[in-house]
Amino acid sequence: MQYALLIYQDEVAAGLEPGNPALSAIVARHMAFSSELGAKRLGGSGLKTTASATTVRTKDGARSVHDGPFAETREQLGGFYLIEAADLDEAIEIAGKVPLAGDGAIEIRPLLRPT
Amino acid sequence: MSRTALESAVRTAGGRVLAALAARYRDLDLAEEAFAEACLRAARAWPERGHPQDAAAWLYRVADRVAIDILRARAARRRIKPDPPEPAPAAEDPVNEEDFLIPDERLRLVFVCCHPALSKEARVALTLRLVCGLETEEIARAFIVPVATMAQRIVRAKNKIADAHIPFEIPGPDAWPERLDSVLSTLEVAYAGAHADAAGAGRTAGFAAEILELTRVLVDLLPKEEEALALAAMVRYAEARRPARLDDTGAMAPLSEQDPTQWNRALIHEADSYLQRAAELGPSGPRTLQAAIHSAWCGRRTRLDPPPWRTVLGLYDALLRLRDDPVVRLNRAVALAEVASPEAALREVDALDGDQLAVFPPYHAVRADLLARSGRAADARAAFDALLALPTPPAERLWLERRRASLAG
Repeated sequence: MQYALLIYQDEVAAGLEPGNPALSAIVARHMAFSSELGAKRLGGSGLKTTASATTVRTKDGARSVHDGPFAETREQLGGFYLIEAADLDEAIEIAGKVPLAGDGAIEIRPLLRPT
Repeated sequence: MSRTALESAVRTAGGRVLAALAARYRDLDLAEEAFAEACLRAARAWPERGHPQDAAAWLYRVADRVAIDILRARAARRRIKPDPPEPAPAAEDPVNEEDFLIPDERLRLVFVCCHPALSKEARVALTLRLVCGLETEEIARAFIVPVATMAQRIVRAKNKIADAHIPFEIPGPDAWPERLDSVLSTLEVAYAGAHADAAGAGRTAGFAAEILELTRVLVDLLPKEEEALALAAMVRYAEARRPARLDDTGAMAPLSEQDPTQWNRALIHEADSYLQRAAELGPSGPRTLQAAIHSAWCGRRTRLDPPPWRTVLGLYDALLRLRDDPVVRLNRAVALAEVASPEAALREVDALDGDQLAVFPPYHAVRADLLARSGRAADARAAFDALLALPTPPAERLWLERRRASLAG
């Protein structure tokens, strides 16, 4: 089974804005975690903060481009992993080890695959 | 006669058969569909050819064949993949039909149904539906939700199990505390659903029996889990008192006014031995303390034995140190009213968050009683009214209306 682990954090509170030393610390932890995952890591990346986000919205067939993330929320999507896990229990176990700078949440989503 | 035989076979063995099928095919829908078809075939075959000696084995064998047929048909419909391989016979599979044994896979299924990735409501519904074999209508009735809502809840949960690939495994030791607690609290809520109906006639009483049986299975498989033993004890103490829960007029009889000679002594004896095993396993957890409170009550043999209020208060004090929540405080206040005074208890109750507890019937019940006993009839009447405005089982309603009417002034 393949799962996406979506990392949500308050990017301001976690100090993940560019130029903050906390950023390089968390990046180092992610690199260590990725190598620990080995072959179970199929892909993934950190994301720049939502200050750099652009949203393309389609409404009634008309497309419009907006500055900012798709929704203003207290926590933002800050990165993701694509992993291979035997089942949800293994995915939960892996999600529990994803590095976070302070509080946050990992949403586990099974990948849609042809059966 | 055979119809009754089939119904009783489904009641007693259905959970085991369905669990074995689910564990074998790791597909809840397939297991349910195959089991339902096996029951249909039994309804046709048994009246003609007689009731099989081992009904569970018959149902399992037929359902197993049906499941393989369904899988073949599915593959044929897709026409892209070859036939699925027949599942390799598990080690427990029978060599000969006479000593056919179904492995008890219910624990595995319980852990699937009580997975923390499912909503709490869904866990209870799934457990009752799949492990206890209850109809969706029955579950909906017990938890006072529309049947369509309950059906949807169950379908959603089953889809989540399949889509997110929740494993059909008993979790490893590191996940154990969280997972077992989820199982135990699910069973607690499920039993509360069966217990709420004091009359407990017919099917509802049977549903409590299913949960008693499930706690027995749990304890047999996990003999060293204190909280599981405590839960097995707790539901037995509660169930033992069922015969005394209604008075002659059909109104609820509160615990302290019940006639202990009507209690089921055999069940209390079973509960005592579970509780003793739980207590021997070390420092008591919250469920063991709760079971001990039940045990204190069930130690009464007749109405002449004094109610154990002092012991109960001490146990609630201990419980409060482990689990400080408004429900524990409320129950403690009931004992405090007897040991100290209704006024003292009322002060404790009024210190709780009334807004948060406004929808919780016992809050109003305890307050109403304490107000009445403190001589505040008008306030007590208001508390009874707040309580009667909430959904209340008929036996309890009758008792409450009588209490309200008896208020002086």
